[in-house]
Amino acid sequence: MTLQSQAGQPAALAALLPADPHEGRPVVMDEQAKREVRRGVLAGVCVPGYIVPFGSREMPVARGWGSGGLQVTLAIGGPEDSVKVIDQGDEEGVNAVNLRRLIVGTLGSRATADTADASIVQSRHRVPEEYLGEDQVLVLQVPQSEPLRQVEKSVYECKRRHAEGDYAKMWVALYERLALTGVMGTGTGHPVMVHGRYLMAPSPIPRWDIPRLHRSDHLTILCHGRDKKVYAVPPHTAVDPLTFDDVPFEVEHIEGVACAKCGTAESFMVETRTGEFICSDVQFCLKVRAGLADLDRHDRLVPRHYYPDPARRVRSFVPAVGTRRVPGPAGITAPGEDWSLKVEDLGKVYPGSRGSSEVVAAREVSFDVAPAEALGVIGESGSGKSTVMRCIIGDELGATGAVRIGAVEEGRANLLELSPPARRRLRTHVLSVVHQDPALGLDLGVSAGGNIADALIAAGWRSYHDIRRRAAELLDRVEVPLGRMDDVVGQFSGGMRQRVQIAKALATDPQVLLLDEPTTGLDASVAAGVLDLLRELLAERELAVVVVSHDFSVIDALTDRAVVMRQGRIVEAGLTDQLFADPHHPYTQQLVAAARS
Amino acid sequence: MYAGTNKGGTEAIVAAERLVLDRRARLDSGLTADAVVESFPLAIDRVMGEGGLWDPDTAAAAFRQANGDLSEAVHLIRAHRSTLPRVAFSDPIDPREMELLRRVVSTQRRPDGPILLGETVDYTARILHDGPDLPLPVVEERDGPPPEHPADGPFRRYRDYLADRGVLVDRSGAEDEEPFDIQMVAPRLPAHRSAWLSAMAQADTGALITIWYQSVLGPDGYAAEAVTLGEVRHGRLPVRVRHPHTGEPVEIGRVRVSETEAVAHLGELRGEDPTTYDVGYAMAFGHNERKVIAAASLDVSLVRFKGSETGRRLEQIVLHTTDGLAASGFLEHLKLPHYVTFQSGLDAAAAARAEARAELDRLLADVTGAAAEPVAEPGPDPVAEPVEGATA
Repeated sequence: MTLQSQAGQPAALAALLPADPHEGRPVVMDEQAKREVRRGVLAGVCVPGYIVPFGSREMPVARGWGSGGLQVTLAIGGPEDSVKVIDQGDEEGVNAVNLRRLIVGTLGSRATADTADASIVQSRHRVPEEYLGEDQVLVLQVPQSEPLRQVEKSVYECKRRHAEGDYAKMWVALYERLALTGVMGTGTGHPVMVHGRYLMAPSPIPRWDIPRLHRSDHLTILCHGRDKKVYAVPPHTAVDPLTFDDVPFEVEHIEGVACAKCGTAESFMVETRTGEFICSDVQFCLKVRAGLADLDRHDRLVPRHYYPDPARRVRSFVPAVGTRRVPGPAGITAPGEDWSLKVEDLGKVYPGSRGSSEVVAAREVSFDVAPAEALGVIGESGSGKSTVMRCIIGDELGATGAVRIGAVEEGRANLLELSPPARRRLRTHVLSVVHQDPALGLDLGVSAGGNIADALIAAGWRSYHDIRRRAAELLDRVEVPLGRMDDVVGQFSGGMRQRVQIAKALATDPQVLLLDEPTTGLDASVAAGVLDLLRELLAERELAVVVVSHDFSVIDALTDRAVVMRQGRIVEAGLTDQLFADPHHPYTQQLVAAARS
Repeated sequence: MYAGTNKGGTEAIVAAERLVLDRRARLDSGLTADAVVESFPLAIDRVMGEGGLWDPDTAAAAFRQANGDLSEAVHLIRAHRSTLPRVAFSDPIDPREMELLRRVVSTQRRPDGPILLGETVDYTARILHDGPDLPLPVVEERDGPPPEHPADGPFRRYRDYLADRGVLVDRSGAEDEEPFDIQMVAPRLPAHRSAWLSAMAQADTGALITIWYQSVLGPDGYAAEAVTLGEVRHGRLPVRVRHPHTGEPVEIGRVRVSETEAVAHLGELRGEDPTTYDVGYAMAFGHNERKVIAAASLDVSLVRFKGSETGRRLEQIVLHTTDGLAASGFLEHLKLPHYVTFQSGLDAAAAARAEARAELDRLLADVTGAAAEPVAEPGPDPVAEPVEGATA
């Protein structure tokens, strides 16, 4: 009853049915399901490393016991195949035994233990030691297909990051471990880049096995049945472990240790209870002992270039001189113009609905800012100044008018018409923001150095030591003690967080800097210190700066010119000194009076 | 000659399987599949609901084979379902056609159509007892002849009642799209309503109740607490498919389902019209009231919060974490060997420890002044040399 067969059909009906193609073997998956799996696999092969959702079926084994790998093997296999099934490198692990029985019993294929003899190798947590060729397929069982899961819990966010190739968060995780411990500290499943495009979870194979996926002759298919995902590494595809340019990736290898059974010193080994080491790939070990292993071929697969070398770890080997950093040209204006940032007729309306009437947050807002100039936008809360800023950054969509930056297509492009991904990319080089709330600009669970690394990595920095140096330089400049560089920002005081946020905003030498109430929420004395720092930093740079604040004293301290906003419109504009000394509009007079009191 | 594998693992597994089979062989004579269906109807219904397959006999066989472990029985049913090709798709089912076995309306004192309690222990004192007698005496026995049973009549769905009064919010989309088949296709976010309704139909009952309850008492408020049950129904519905030759709908059988309509008064969220109500819906195979009540409440929330951060979180929870087979399967997999992972982790830990020791040595050397060498290597710019392998 639990397995479909045609044996129980009445004779008349049975006569109408075609001959049983399964020859009495139990059916675990119908043909529709197999086609669904094959479609997913083909999509995965076409886009290496891309995670393909597919209609994963329930299998007679638990989700988590290799139901994904099983579906792939059943969908691509047939009676003519010889199938090798291993768990942790061993044929006799419970998982391998179960799956082998099922595969052989339903496909009618031959079981083999010999890697060289297998047409399909289904494996949990290992790539076989022996060479796999172009007529062989490796099927890896996957317990977690999303490589970003450890740094990003939101499925939406993960999707966006894959689409935009935005993997900075993963790099920051590696940076953090290097800064804290001196080594990357990844066990199995070290994240890899496939074909230079997609970050991929290689399933929990040891680091020893990762080079075996790189430009291999065989096809690797990875399948996560529980999460309904399949992905693939086609033959000859680049698979690079994620690491910084100047931090060597390390495989598990202990100098001087050899297998207690076969004597080889160059395979992935596991420790026994007695403290001996033995090959994790049991068949390879047996073949070495029998003198049947192709040791030449195995030798070429040994990842010696990744053997650990403590002398090359980040704490032992600090290059005296970093890659020479050429800061981008500062203060780019549109050709023939003197502005770096120009806002024209910016408007933003929040449509009304039940319980909220239509709000005109900004209307006909126009200004421009030159390099090395700071413009103030002042108004009370609700005046529209923050909306204007969010429209410039791209946090607020659906604005009308135009925002142009001299460094973006020579000022011709209207940023408001760019796609959200394009606008996010501008934030890496061109446009930086300091938010009132440091939690918006920083990851409070990451160190001060790690937060700056985040900005640098997003902008393409790949040298650990360069990143360290640049982060230290910036933190020093904003007067964060270097001894706290590796402390989690969440431990910092409000003023110190704001200094880290400023350092992060300046890290990639942006063209335009937006400061949103940068000192609001800080104690008066702390705020004064941050204001002094900002004034110095702005004087040192060719930046176009917009300062948004409700506080005239902040605007007075930082800016040359200012516009006054009320109910979404600019009501007065002029030199900050003059506005402060001789306000014309009654609303400006109120603001000045408030600042003086 | 190079020999294959030792067979120790296989022998142990077969022996373990044998223990289970022997035990069942002793019991099977006394416990037929029919007896299981008769004795444990609610367990069978739960297996069919979470298994997503209507077949009481197969569900009973699974329940018996699983030694009463519901998760295991659901697993057997789902694995069995994978062997069945889709031969046809039924016409859409209209719940208004339901042959009622139970109908509870908590929003109205006198609703349209019958209130039918059916076979339930909802109103019974939970006292362990034996025998067919009521566990508590009935205090107010009615005098005179028993009341006449009301005639069977059509009932109205609560949503129709709200629509007639003009207070049902209009959620009808521009087009009537094909339902998303969660069995055949992997869920994707953002999800269609049909995707989460079918995901919840076969979700783990406990998981749905927990998510709903967490939103009442937990740190994250997803579901609206102020949800009333428009209706809870249990009954039989005809299933019709199109005849391959005539194209006419033909009834091929009846399935028992549970349904709930959960009513929420709108206006709490921005943009909602406080003069209207929304109705959440859920249906599952068998008598599975707890499941459909939780699911219908979550459905209202999923619709109301759609597009917001809260809605995105809830969609991820419902579509990615409520399948009992996936959750318990992943839990079961922890029992598999993990020594390659563990070994690799040990290696990483050893490297970190070596680094910590080296760091300590360097600090000691600094303190004692024994080694005043600079950390940086003098000589040509070392970064200019390619780091072999690391940037392949």
